Amino acid sequence: MQNHLTMATLALVSIWGLLPAGAEESTAPVNFEDHVATILNKNCAQCHGDGKQKAGLDFSSYSSLIKGGSGGPAVVAGRSSASPLVQVLIREDPAERMPPDADPLPAEAIAMIRKWIDTGLRENAGSSAAAMRTLGFTPADATAAVADGPPPLPEKLPAVKRPTTLRPLPVLSLASSPRAALAAASGYGFIELLQPDSRASLGDLPFAEGEPQVLRFSRSGKRLLAAGGSPVETGLAAVYDVVTGKRLAAVGREPDAVQAADLSPDERLVALGCTSRLVKVYSTENGKLLYSLDKHTDWVTAVAFSPDGKFLVTGDRGGNLHLWDAKSGGVILPLAEHKAAIRAVAWRSDSGVVASCGEDGLVVWWDVSDGFPVATKPNAHPPQRPPGVTGKLANGVLDCAFGPKGELVTCGRDRTVKLWDARGAEKKTFSLSEESPARVFPTRVTLSFDGTSLLAGDSAGRLHSWKVQ
Amino acid sequence: MPHPSTLSSLRGLALAAALVGPGLVAASEPAEPPGFRRDVMPVFFRAGCNAGTCHGSARGKDGFMLSLFGYDPKGDYSRIVEQMPGRRVNTAVPEKSLLLLKAVAAVPHTGGKVFTPASPFYKTLRDWIAAGAPDDDASVPETVDVVLSRKAFVFDKAGAGDALTVTAHASDGSKRDVTGLARFFSNNPSVVAIDENGRFKATGPGDTNVFARFGRFTVGAEVIVLPRAEGFAWTNPPAVNFIDRIVFDRLQKLRILPSGLCDDETFLRRVTIDLAARLPTVEEYRSFMADAATDKRHRKIDELLQSDGFVEQWTTIWSEHLRNKGSTFAPNATLPKASDAFQGWIRSQMRSGRPLNEFVAEMVAASGSNISAGPPNFYTMMVNKWNVDPKPLAADVSQLLLGVQIQCAECHNHPFDRWTMDDYYSFVSFFTGIKRISGIEPRERRIYFDTTTEPAKHLVDERPMPARVLGGIEPVPAGSDPRKALATWLTAPDNKLFRENLANRIWAQLMGRGVIEPVDDVRVSNPPTNPALLEALGSRLAELKFDLRGLVRDICNSRTYQLSVTPNETNRLDTRQFSHAKMRRLRADVLLDALTDVTGVPGEFPNFPTGTRAVAFHPRNAGGDGRGESSKQFFHNFGLSPRNAVAASETKKEPTLAQALHLIVGDTLRTRLSSGGVVKRLVAEKATPEAIIEELFILTLTRRPEPGELQELLALAGPGAKDPALYEDIFWSLLNSTEFVFNH
Repeated sequence: MQNHLTMATLALVSIWGLLPAGAEESTAPVNFEDHVATILNKNCAQCHGDGKQKAGLDFSSYSSLIKGGSGGPAVVAGRSSASPLVQVLIREDPAERMPPDADPLPAEAIAMIRKWIDTGLRENAGSSAAAMRTLGFTPADATAAVADGPPPLPEKLPAVKRPTTLRPLPVLSLASSPRAALAAASGYGFIELLQPDSRASLGDLPFAEGEPQVLRFSRSGKRLLAAGGSPVETGLAAVYDVVTGKRLAAVGREPDAVQAADLSPDERLVALGCTSRLVKVYSTENGKLLYSLDKHTDWVTAVAFSPDGKFLVTGDRGGNLHLWDAKSGGVILPLAEHKAAIRAVAWRSDSGVVASCGEDGLVVWWDVSDGFPVATKPNAHPPQRPPGVTGKLANGVLDCAFGPKGELVTCGRDRTVKLWDARGAEKKTFSLSEESPARVFPTRVTLSFDGTSLLAGDSAGRLHSWKVQ
Repeated sequence: MPHPSTLSSLRGLALAAALVGPGLVAASEPAEPPGFRRDVMPVFFRAGCNAGTCHGSARGKDGFMLSLFGYDPKGDYSRIVEQMPGRRVNTAVPEKSLLLLKAVAAVPHTGGKVFTPASPFYKTLRDWIAAGAPDDDASVPETVDVVLSRKAFVFDKAGAGDALTVTAHASDGSKRDVTGLARFFSNNPSVVAIDENGRFKATGPGDTNVFARFGRFTVGAEVIVLPRAEGFAWTNPPAVNFIDRIVFDRLQKLRILPSGLCDDETFLRRVTIDLAARLPTVEEYRSFMADAATDKRHRKIDELLQSDGFVEQWTTIWSEHLRNKGSTFAPNATLPKASDAFQGWIRSQMRSGRPLNEFVAEMVAASGSNISAGPPNFYTMMVNKWNVDPKPLAADVSQLLLGVQIQCAECHNHPFDRWTMDDYYSFVSFFTGIKRISGIEPRERRIYFDTTTEPAKHLVDERPMPARVLGGIEPVPAGSDPRKALATWLTAPDNKLFRENLANRIWAQLMGRGVIEPVDDVRVSNPPTNPALLEALGSRLAELKFDLRGLVRDICNSRTYQLSVTPNETNRLDTRQFSHAKMRRLRADVLLDALTDVTGVPGEFPNFPTGTRAVAFHPRNAGGDGRGESSKQFFHNFGLSPRNAVAASETKKEPTLAQALHLIVGDTLRTRLSSGGVVKRLVAEKATPEAIIEELFILTLTRRPEPGELQELLALAGPGAKDPALYEDIFWSLLNSTEFVFNH
């Protein structure tokens, strides 16, 4: 069964694959016969060769290695970190590591095996091996499909008295309308609507429950979802009419501030992610709990419906990411790549790709059709190492959001905001202005509906904007 | 559950903060807001937030982790302020910070209410958050010392009390009173009880220590609570040497009288077991008892110090400590040949009287073959794994040779001692370069130090930590084998930790209890019961140029060693001050040898010549556990060290029911009782039942039967009884008596 799946994955890879461009092709590509077979022969063949095949694994030929063993496939094309062969070589605990009772394989050998897997499991130098996929994206006129009437903008918002605070709350959430030059930013007890480019205020919405942890515009741009609450006291999600500022609905009565939430494209469902480890899906029509998902093992930190409404993706503080059927709540795929808390997930407008980012510094673009990480950017926001400082520096990626052309914007603990093009290549880096105190970092980021301006909020509660293009 | 009044008062606070404008709130702020490291971290410590059972556990608690006892302020700051922006610390509305809400249990908190909104701790945290929760990384002077107001307290009666004042000295020379931020504990609450503010009260007579902890420091003061003075008169017992002077001085101070001197019979049995690892023979007994000279005890000690038993006993003790155990599993490099080489080398060192510091230094700095030389096996036996993991090795070396358990400092600064993570990782770097390569013989390994190896890295910030001796300031010079510097520092006569560790272990072997107990848990919070004694023993060992026999001679000649086990009214409860001798169960190997000797039936050890004594045995091929089938169960029941760890507790000293049953019904004694023919020989040789019974008593208990005992046994036997079965029963009873199994 597992072998069958692997073969299917391989087949997909080769059909969809494009040869990677660049310098690697000019030298001999890493392949089994020239690079990997010797390593395996020397270190593994005693137990996994043509004589003995412990666990059913035989590394003596390309075909038998690809076939895998009694525990399933040993290698997964393009994913060295998910390949059992690599996993057992790099275990910390000598008792679990291969080869048994011996020093680990040299780092270069492991790196070679990883490269071979990541570049598509070539059999020999001449084989046009299974290669990497690319992020194909054809921008559609996303606004046309849902446009009915003029782009919604706030018109007659009632005056809101902002609570007096010692200083602004960190910007916990930020969102852009998909149809108008309109953004929403969180404050303590209120939500500010503003013009993304000039940051000119267009009025406030009240959020008396406390801290808005999540803001999301609906596909139509007419509704704004705000979720949050007061830590370890109350949590809920509320839906506002963008034009009038009227609160249309409120769902959930959580014992803690809601950490993640989204409104389905048809505006009928609200999904909440809670510190209780549950994802709860409510009806906006009657406020009833429709179903809850209990697959997560830690706080749910990210929740997003696909723009076509078919899928729901959820992430947790342990780094687990799951893809669900939005209607039934059935699990479709686990998306396993992150090693630390997921901080955000974002859907591309064509619903074909979902991006995730987290405290492990990783940004991943996932192909939703089969859960394949088409592009991964480890250490996407590398922090600068101050002189004399050793050890691991915090390099978490705190937010990610797609623009209309498939471009992605991210922000991280390195205090920068980054723009990535539709192919997943890094395009531009923006730094917080000089006057920001040293420890202030961008917490949230978004692109305006037309992709021309970039808006970020920081841990000191201020907003920053840049022109893109 | 949140307390209603707390909740409402807290809401009131929040409301007040919301009503007054920012300007007004700022105006009420103190001139200098609390600092994170200086003021906030101590609150987490004092309130117990970063204790091991709460957020200080390795994975934190309920998703929030603090470094255990605050070893990582930088990480703690990041987790509190930056990990979840606005949640744990809310600088916009400080009172809404989870840090405060949880601490006062205004919201559900697994740890309950740890302080009230009225407490100074609340104010510190609140004011810090209101000031913007600033970090104070570079600006805070480090605490370099913590001092108590007084080092010692003496109370004349229970009920009296006092209070500790704790002062922290900072690196910039400033001092501050941290009594309100320290944590306090007593080592024995039945002597003195101490409360959370450092106020303590005498509860009953005795001596113990109270401690204050602040930051990474633990400091203690001695507290003596005297028993009633009425009816106590110091008897001025004569002191033989420095040991008696110090012990008796302490006893007089504590109003405890030492027991009397033990009689000659007891002394002979005690010293022969301790020094020669066997019972005195009947002939030795008769000649010692017949000797009327006043220096006969002194001469006996000198005689026994030269015995083979002394060499075998100390060879075994070191061999156990050093975990010398052979096996045929080649990757471990502990094959029987290596084990034999090590055992042989240790034996030759003990026989020749090699100074103990040289003995240790040679092993610590050893390189070369594990088969052709003994010392390199320090790095095969102590490791007993296919690879050399420097961390457990460093911890074992420290525990064995210094008595210090530094392994606590692997993950956090030692909570009850002075050792920091810096000390630990610098010490580990002495062993990171230990390598083993194959030698000429197939299973031979050659030990060497690879000087190109990177030093150990600090757990918190992965800083490389070059090799540095414990408590040292500068690392040892790089580029050569650092173990030479380690061996020199370790075994130098002025290394107090080393000399006192060895002296304490020797003392414990002879007295049944260390001046520090357990002997391998030396730390500030486990002080010596008589500091002057430990210091004198250590200095004496150094003065004797680390001569084992020299210190043993001093101890055995002291009146303290020769005291009776029988207590008097004043020392009945004393277990710490050596005011009377301690009943000690014989070590497993010594007991087996004693049974062998009195029954005349030797034990059998596979791969050892017949007649090998248990005390001379070592597990040279511990495929199973290496013991002969007949002795295996015996050794297990009587707690012979399995040599699986370096800890002193590997050797079990306590008596158990299994031991009693083993002797009553087990094979060890039953099969030996008649087959050696001892009883038959006595029945044939001796004329009267009295003589037979007397001989059996001397053989097993090193004394003549008391008249009452003799009468009862004679009544059982009947006049002129010659039935060997009857005397075998008496023999059996004697061997099953507590008196036989114990050294007293």
